[in-house]
Order: sequence, then C-alpha cells, then structure tokens
Amino acid sequence: MFSSIEDVIERFAKNNYIASRRIATVIYLASELRKPILVEGPAGVGKTDLAKVLAASLGFEMIRLQCYEGLDEGKALYEWEYAKQLLYTQILKDKISEVLVGAKGLTEAVDRIAAQDEVFFSERFVLPRPLLKAISSEQPSVLLIDEIDKADAEFEAFLLELLSDFQVTVPELGTIKAKHIPLVVLTSNNAREMSDALKRRCLHLYIDFPDRAQELAIVKLKVPEAAAKLAEEVVTVVQSLRKLDLKKTPGISETLDWVKALTLLNVNSLDQELVTETLDTIVKYEGDVRKAQEELKDYVRRVRARRGTEAGSDKDLLN
Amino acid sequence: MQEKLVEFANLLRENGVRVSLAETLDAFSASEVTGLAERDAFRAALRATMVKRASELPVFEELFDIYFSGLGEIIKQASQAVQNALSMSDQEFQKFLDQIEKMLQKEGKNLSELAKQLLQNNSGEMERKIREAARAVKLSGIERTIEENYFARALARQLGLDKIEAEIKQLREQLEQMDIGSELKAKIEEYLERRLKALDDIIRRYVRMEREKRDIKQKEDQRLNQIGEKSFYYLTEEELKKMNEAVTRLAQRLKNVITVRRKRSKKGRFDIKRTLRQNLAFGGVPFKLRFEKRKKEKPQVVILCDVSDSVRNASRFMLQFVYSLQDLYSRVRSFIFVADIGEVTECFRNNDAKEALDVALTGDIINVYAHSNFGYAFRNFVTDHLGAVNKRTTVIVLGDARNNYNLPHDWCLREIRQRAKKVIWLNPESRNTWGFGDSEMERYAPHCDLVEECRNLNQLYRVVDRLVAG
Repeated sequence: MFSSIEDVIERFAKNNYIASRRIATVIYLASELRKPILVEGPAGVGKTDLAKVLAASLGFEMIRLQCYEGLDEGKALYEWEYAKQLLYTQILKDKISEVLVGAKGLTEAVDRIAAQDEVFFSERFVLPRPLLKAISSEQPSVLLIDEIDKADAEFEAFLLELLSDFQVTVPELGTIKAKHIPLVVLTSNNAREMSDALKRRCLHLYIDFPDRAQELAIVKLKVPEAAAKLAEEVVTVVQSLRKLDLKKTPGISETLDWVKALTLLNVNSLDQELVTETLDTIVKYEGDVRKAQEELKDYVRRVRARRGTEAGSDKDLLN
Repeated sequence: MQEKLVEFANLLRENGVRVSLAETLDAFSASEVTGLAERDAFRAALRATMVKRASELPVFEELFDIYFSGLGEIIKQASQAVQNALSMSDQEFQKFLDQIEKMLQKEGKNLSELAKQLLQNNSGEMERKIREAARAVKLSGIERTIEENYFARALARQLGLDKIEAEIKQLREQLEQMDIGSELKAKIEEYLERRLKALDDIIRRYVRMEREKRDIKQKEDQRLNQIGEKSFYYLTEEELKKMNEAVTRLAQRLKNVITVRRKRSKKGRFDIKRTLRQNLAFGGVPFKLRFEKRKKEKPQVVILCDVSDSVRNASRFMLQFVYSLQDLYSRVRSFIFVADIGEVTECFRNNDAKEALDVALTGDIINVYAHSNFGYAFRNFVTDHLGAVNKRTTVIVLGDARNNYNLPHDWCLREIRQRAKKVIWLNPESRNTWGFGDSEMERYAPHCDLVEECRNLNQLYRVVDRLVAG
C-alpha cells in the first residue's frame, strides 16, 4: 500500500502516469479507507489507465470486467459448468448405481441422490468470472469495472453488495467473503447517471481534460522521442480543438496517437498539409474534421504571422 | 472539526448538492487520513467523498473557498489593510506588534479578550470568537440582502463592539500619559483607530459572505425555473443555450425510460419445443432453457414540423427536440414544412444539431419564406410520403395551425390518422387563441389522438411524460 500522497505520485510517475495531486489524494484515500473509486470524465482522459497503473504500481494483479448492455450475474460473477457436471455424471454412472443399491422405491433413491447433491454444486464446478475471481483471489488485486454506465441499472444494484461488504452470495455455496479486499476502480463515461446508492459507496473522482502544461508533460513522458517543438504545437492545437463544439472531443490518447504518428513521419513541426493528412488520427467524424480544419487554418495562419516577426529561419517549415 | 464538516455538509445541501449522512461520515474519515494542514489534499478528500456529480463540482469549489478560507481570509485581509495603511514592511509590522504586546501587558489589564486578540493580531482566536457569536445570533438564517445590516448589528452587539470601542478609547487616554516618543504615540494611535475600523469591516464582510453562500444555487435554480415557464417566443441568446441543454436532458430521460422498458420485454415465454430439441444432446435433460423470442416492436415516429416565420423561435426548439428524438429511435423520419414539405431525416442524421438546424431553417430544403399553408403541406405529404406511415407509426405534428385562410384539407390528416397508430399535435400557441383568426386548430383537432399546448419547456416535459406513459 501507499505510505502517503507523495508516494502515490512517485509510484505512478514510475509507471508513466502523471497523477495530479487531486487524483493522488483520492487514490491514497481509497487505499487507506478501502473504498471503491468511481472515476468519471470524458472519453480518453486516462480513466482505464488509472486502474492499470494502480495495479502496476502496487504490484497487484488486475482483474478487469468490461461492462456492456445485457451483462448479467452469470457473466460477471460465476456460472455453473453444466457440461462438466454432465460429464461427471456420465463417468460416475457406476458409482451412482452403487449408491442406489438396495434402495427401496423411488423416494428413497431420490433421497440418496439428493444427499450427494453438494458434490455437484461445489466449487469444483463453479466457473469463476471476474468478480468472483477478485473476491476469492489469494493475492490482493485491483478490480477494474470498466464503463459501468454501459451496464443496466439492475446490474448496478447487484454490485452494491460486493462494493460495500466485499462479499458475494452464491445460493448453493453460501456467502463468500473476500480474503483480500480488492481495490475497486469503476469507470463511467456518463452515458447514464449512476444511482445514488452506488455513488454513496464510492469515492468520486472526476477527471477532466488536462491543461496545457499537464498535457505537455504527459506527451513528453509517453513519447519521449518526439521533438519538443512538435509536442508543444500538437498540444496547443488539440487544446484549441477541445474548445470547439465537436461530436467527439479528442482525448489524451488521441493527442498521443497524433504525436506518435507525426514522429514516425519524422516531422519536427506542424504544417498545413501534414495536418490535413493526419487529422483523422484525432478527429473521428466527418463533420468534426471540417470544423477542425477551419480552426487549424486559423492556427497555422497565426503561427505564420508570429514567425514572420521573429526571423526568417523557419521558412522551410511552412512552405 | 467534525462540527465544521457537518455544517459544511448542510451548506452543500442547502445549495442543492445531495450529501448523505454516510457521505459526511466518509468525509470525516477521509479528512482524518489527509489531515487539515495540507489544503489541497483536504479539499480533494472532501470533494471525492461529498460530491458525486460533475455538475455539482463548481458549487462545491465555490463553497469550499467561501467556507474554509472565508472568515480566516477576511481577517487576514483586514490585518493586511491595517499594515498597508501604516505603510510598514512585514518586519516592521511584526516589530510594531511586539511593542503593542508589551504595552498591552503593562496597560491593558482591563481589556477584554477580543480587544486584546484584535490588537495583537491573533487571527485564529478571533475567528473562533466571531464564529461563536455568529452561531449565537443565528447568522446562518440570513437570506436576503436587506437583512445584512440587521445581522451585522446583531453580530457586533454579540461581540461587544461598543465595549471594545470604549476600552480602546480608554487605552488612548492612557497612551497620552505614557512616556514614549511622539512619533510612536501617533503610530499607535492610528493603529488603534484602524484596528477598530477593521473589526467593523470584518463583521460586515463576514455577514455578506454568509448571505452569498446561500445564494449561489438559488439564483441558478430560479433561472432555470423561469426559463421553464417562459414561452419559446421570448428567449434571449443565453437562455436559448440553457434551453438546448434542457432539451437534450429531456430526450435522455425519454431514452432511459424506453431502454428499461424494452429490456423487460426481452424474454418471452418458456419454449418447450425448442428446449427439448436443444437438449437432445444431453439425453433430454433440460440443461439449457429456451424462451420464445419476442418480436421487438421498434417504435416508429414521423414528425411534421412547421418552420414558418410565425413560430420561428419555437420551431428551433421543436427541431432540437426532433433532432434528439431522431438520435434516440432508429426509425424516425422528420419533415419540415411551410407550404412545401421536405424531408430532413438524412440531414439530421449526418450533421450535428446546430448545423442541421441551420440547414433546415435557411431554406436549403424547402422555401421557408413562403406563407404557411398547412393544407397544401398535408396534401403533399399524403401524395408523396404516405408510405412512411403504417400502423406502428406515431405521427407528431408541431405547428400553430395558422393556415392564412387557405384550404385546410383536413381530410389529409384524417387519412394519415387512419393509417397511423397515433397522431399527436403540439401547438406552440396559447390554447385560448386556437380557432380564432386563421387558426384551423378546431378543424384539425378531431383527427388527432392528443392535442397539447406546448409553448414552454415545462409543458414539453409534461408532454414527454404523457408520451412515455402511453
């Protein structure tokens, strides 16, 4: 576990994640108070990454549950392995007849089989899914419940027992309590408002797009090979694009993709043509592309004007 | 500290942030982990435990600033102002305060606690005293600006300001007889004067701050409510923006309800035949259950939206609503008309809301500068697009039914209704003007299943409620 907020920041930094003090405080609190964290914010700001880095920086195993519409207990918690049970009954047919030897009447035969019930409904035939895995894990773990907003409201209610008491109930086996309380991270893109009951059980962390300085630091950390000037320009452009009314606002991951792509192309500085060619790395809708292009034209014009007043040395970049 | 946190939680609640008891308890334990010394961590701890909605974050930030640095900050600023007035540097001021303290030890035996703290610049103790007094006079009940004076006076009385005044006056008299340089004497005299004024200032600003605390959310709420009741016709630019948000939320709400409903009906009845067939492989033991698949009945909507001049502002909203609806259902066909009628489904699908609305309203699709002619539009719809309507379709007409004395052709609407599941007419005009002048509402209404006045957001909410219920 972490020893202090600074410790969180340091260990996250070692794993290439720049955690602001606010984020680090929430992580530290979660590890101290053993509370789940509900991370919200626009797509592409590193919500899922947060969980991954948390696991990595503690050396814990990460167990991930991806939510989707129609996800149910069977997929999330456990399932009985019917086929395996069936196979065992077939193999053990002889044994069953042994059990039934001397049984008088159907009732007694059924009773005898019923007495053996727990053989078939034991942990041997349970197929653990992510939630059960996290609860019964021998090692402490980080449980990521990704995009909880995609799951149905019923599933959310089902999670409540797990999140507040760290236990789950399998009717045939009874209640299973966690050996190690996992650190739980839930992420949501706000497609749907989470219920108050869920929110009450969680610490709430809202991650917004980073400001310029932060984003620049992230780019430098993740794409160290990128030219400093290029990184700065890309960040400036992306920051200004976020201010536009786009259908899908570019996230940090898009910024990184773009910087990587441009670096691969051996580019040191943005120019009009390149921007047009590579714009689809950051903007994903046709309408958005149009808007972004307008904005970028403006940007390049501004840069050109500024450079014009400086020196003539940058001629090669913009012609 | 706990007391302060409870009070803060109450304050958040008063401003519309939902903080439960459990969350307040979490805030206790969280603040114990981070401690109070480091402000950012403390703030983050409260933020993570008490605020669970991104939309409530601004209120929290503002209140936190007011509450946790509020009074302390005011006292600090007041003291800074005194120092500035005496034009001393930090060092000089500190030295000067030491002198004052010495003097007080000698001369100020009969000074009250608060007066001493005031003169010695003991801000922590002062803050405590003032908060105590504020509780005594129930300052937290302040609501309106005009109450500021009253509470300021009450607080001053509670603190014993007049007594302090007298004490300081006495101190000045003693000062006269003291054997110190005249320059220092003047300085001290000015200091006493300023300090007294500073306390008055602190009280006033504190009272105002308390009032503001209770104001932040109130204003916002009032505003939204007002917009809700305000007719679509008279909205300012900023209100339009707010309204857009509200309409989107409305559509979202509709969507939530519909998704839950569709989910519930997903599984049909137990299907014996298919179950047996599927489980033949297991010797007829039914390991896998099969259910009849219900046919999904996809709701179909056809929208006819009047975009003539007379309803321009309203139709923008109606279109915004149409746009959100179209985002929501896969089978919505949207038409706009003035006299001509044109389909905008594709245009809405491919553009974002603002662009789509612009395209629809600038006359690229139909001539929007003509005089409205509902009859003509309906007849054209029946000839060209009647195929869009079948027995699963809900037809929604948005318009004021002002037909410029043209032929109403209400038989077209009857024809549409015969084919459709439901016809709903939303009229942005006030109900008591229907049927007067060139309004053909009376003629059209018998052919509709539901006719509603829909001239502001609250009414739109009600209509949506009814649609969802039906």
